[in-house]
Amino acid sequence: MSIGLLEQAVLSGITNGFIYALIGIGIAVIFKGSRIVNAMQGEFAVVGALITVFAMQAARMPYPVAIVAGVLVGALSGAVIDVLFVRPMTRRGASEESFLLLTIGLSFTLAAGALYFGGRDSHLLPGFGGQGVIEILQATLPVHAAWLIVVATAVVIALRLFYTRTLLGLSMSAAASDADGATSTGIDVGRMRLLTFLLGGGIGAIAGVLVTPLISMNYQMGIGLTLKGFAAAILGGLTNPLGALFGGLALGLLESLAVVGFPSGYRDVVALSLLVVIMIVMPNGLLGRAGRRGG
Amino acid sequence: MGPEHGRTDAAGAAALSQGASTLVLQGIAHSFGGLQVLRKVDIEVPAGRLVGLIGPNGSGKTTCFNIASGFLRQNAGRVLLDDQDISASSVQARSRAGLVRTFQAPKVFDQMTVLENLMVGAHKSTRTGMLGAMLGTRGARAEQAATRELAERCAQRFGIDALLPTRAGLLPAGQRRIVELARACMGRPRVLLLDEPSSGLNSEEIEVLRRWIRELNRDGLTVFLVSHDMGLMTVCDTVHVLYFGEVIASGSLADVQADARVREAYLGI
Amino acid sequence: MTNRNPGRTPLVVTMLVLLALWVLLPLGLSRHHVDLLNFAAILGIGGLGVGLLLGQCGIVNLGQAAFFGIGAYASAWCTTTLGWPASAAMATGAVISAAIAAVIGYPILRLSGFFLALATLAVGSIASVLFFEWDWLTGGTLGIGGVPKLSLLGWTLDTPERFYYFVWPVLALALWLAQNLVGGRPGLAMRAMRDAAPAAEVMAVDMHRLKTQMFVLCAVLGSLAGSLYSHYVSFVSVQSFTVERSIFFLLVPVIAGAHSVPGIVAGALFVALIPELLSGLGDFHQVVFGLLLVTVVTLMPGGLMGLLGTLRGQGGRR
Repeated sequence: MSIGLLEQAVLSGITNGFIYALIGIGIAVIFKGSRIVNAMQGEFAVVGALITVFAMQAARMPYPVAIVAGVLVGALSGAVIDVLFVRPMTRRGASEESFLLLTIGLSFTLAAGALYFGGRDSHLLPGFGGQGVIEILQATLPVHAAWLIVVATAVVIALRLFYTRTLLGLSMSAAASDADGATSTGIDVGRMRLLTFLLGGGIGAIAGVLVTPLISMNYQMGIGLTLKGFAAAILGGLTNPLGALFGGLALGLLESLAVVGFPSGYRDVVALSLLVVIMIVMPNGLLGRAGRRGG
Repeated sequence: MGPEHGRTDAAGAAALSQGASTLVLQGIAHSFGGLQVLRKVDIEVPAGRLVGLIGPNGSGKTTCFNIASGFLRQNAGRVLLDDQDISASSVQARSRAGLVRTFQAPKVFDQMTVLENLMVGAHKSTRTGMLGAMLGTRGARAEQAATRELAERCAQRFGIDALLPTRAGLLPAGQRRIVELARACMGRPRVLLLDEPSSGLNSEEIEVLRRWIRELNRDGLTVFLVSHDMGLMTVCDTVHVLYFGEVIASGSLADVQADARVREAYLGI
Repeated sequence: MTNRNPGRTPLVVTMLVLLALWVLLPLGLSRHHVDLLNFAAILGIGGLGVGLLLGQCGIVNLGQAAFFGIGAYASAWCTTTLGWPASAAMATGAVISAAIAAVIGYPILRLSGFFLALATLAVGSIASVLFFEWDWLTGGTLGIGGVPKLSLLGWTLDTPERFYYFVWPVLALALWLAQNLVGGRPGLAMRAMRDAAPAAEVMAVDMHRLKTQMFVLCAVLGSLAGSLYSHYVSFVSVQSFTVERSIFFLLVPVIAGAHSVPGIVAGALFVALIPELLSGLGDFHQVVFGLLLVTVVTLMPGGLMGLLGTLRGQGGRR
């Protein structure tokens, strides 16, 4: 077992970890803002990535513009889902199972939509800063991966500031934890939830755009991303977006190191088994209180 | 729907009761996070007696109740049923030993009929398993028929047999409470814990409830009652007053209402 | 006729008509359509398990494809590589599925709601990966071929029509057993658990044990469906045991209306026939599927059977 191999595993673990963290953060944001566990978060990543690809290839937009388009569409998807589905279901007091079935159904629909419009092929996006690599000790890190880490960190910091320092962010938190109390102070709970889904969709799309240059995106990847995002979010305590960051990194590192020398397919087995174990043993995660419904 | 309306079915009444047990809370202390909710609570509910627990909001009545019924594991102290330490027993185990409770908001099975609700009450005394039920064995069918018959007799006793085919969730609060009581009695309890049984009931329904509680106790059932309704408390033999996690007075309701410490606690006098 | 409930006669007549229809159907349909009906039956058996968990226990199981795969691979491998008779292979698959369900179910069934569903999804995904990676056992994407057809009393079920007259009674038997279960003591206990868990606990219902038993039952049904599948198509490979397949199984009770056992037939027919109806649209049928699931959940939480019940209620029948 060479040091280089180990180092490579660490680097790829960190890189993957940030992606899982971003997905997990999206899940945490939506949970924090609506008490709904979003089983289709990974699909926002798929949508964001594929729209960006489409915008570049078919509509010939410059890369940055295409990215904005992808993220916007991702955010809008979230909003549409809130308006079309979540709102009426909340109004009729639907059960927890129903919301779960809803997000699963949406996950399936979006994946099918991605298949229909995007085909079975995997799509690539150009890496940020080109295709080069950085040499770190005995391992290499693609330049894009470094950018990924920077951008993801920026997103996390921005989110933290948003929730703790801005009026809008505080209102969104308030609306989720106590709808009646929030309404009585003039907060429009419905609008807060809409914004939550907008935000969650946008963050998911960003994750998709960031990951595609490294591993390419195809229609099937949504569920896998969702599951790993969940593991990250749960490790971090589900309502704590910062926690999802640590959860994601922990997950990424663990799964990379566990399968050094094994076919990469087993990485998923490790990650998923870890998810199940975490849920059983540490439902409140390492850092926060889950505060989940029906727990 | 009071006891005088239920058909007097001596055999039914006898079939539904089965002796009584003593419940003892010994030195119970419990805290949530940093908050000490119960300090050192000693309460004895002797077999066949009707004991009440009153106290202002926040005094720890609900916690006490949850500990006694097995929904909460206390930090210190013991819960004894007929001198057996049941502190480590699950809710189900306590139920099988005869300790049954009701809930502040009557927890009936909303989507099921009153008949089905009552039949669930016999769950602990029946044995049909997955295989037996699936295959529809003779034993399974016989047990089902016997349970149904018991449920019907129980409903007659409580005067709710007209409600048997109704979905429990559609009933008004007072009737739901009676269904909950009847269901608890299906399992031949030896100690009945009633958690704020009058909440959500109008004065007429409370009166009916009061008479049922007295009737059940008269048939020999031990009853432990938590309430903040003084009118309901008049049925109790002994009343304990809980204040900030401690029992500050015990005795008959009259004695306790005259007690200086109680007056100070409730009225600040 | 004096003692018979007059309300039952239309029901009996309807049942007889449906039965006659069922017997005569293959004679009037093309081989392809009979094939679809067979898939519907297989879906029904697997979907019944998921439906019991959903309708009786309120549990969303997204891992049924794992057990479907275990049954399929067990049957395929034991009959082709070991030369075992089909019944022994099927039993093996069922036992393995039951054991795995019991071992995995015990800890994860302590979870509730989303977390439990997530755990089942994880189980299904793990199984999917393992089916792919363990190609020394499963043949990976190349799969296992040449799985022998079933034979019953000397009669080989090598045509869709023959399989039809076997598999549908099997489904009917499963439905009958399930209906007994639901109407009996366990069913009562499960619905109590679903309606008011604390009160069920006070009635001494051992909820965890019940859930574990139902999970095992669901797995066994999935395994049986898988075994039947492998003997029917004579070829199994990884593509059939993905998370997507689990969602298909889930669709069956959701569209049917989770609380209805006989409704499973309607749900299974729906799920099996829709791709056929939409085949002209190619991959788009999956989008329709997803939209269907979503629409049913949003607008018709009672599923088809719920809709039927509402309509009947409006017709004046109680």
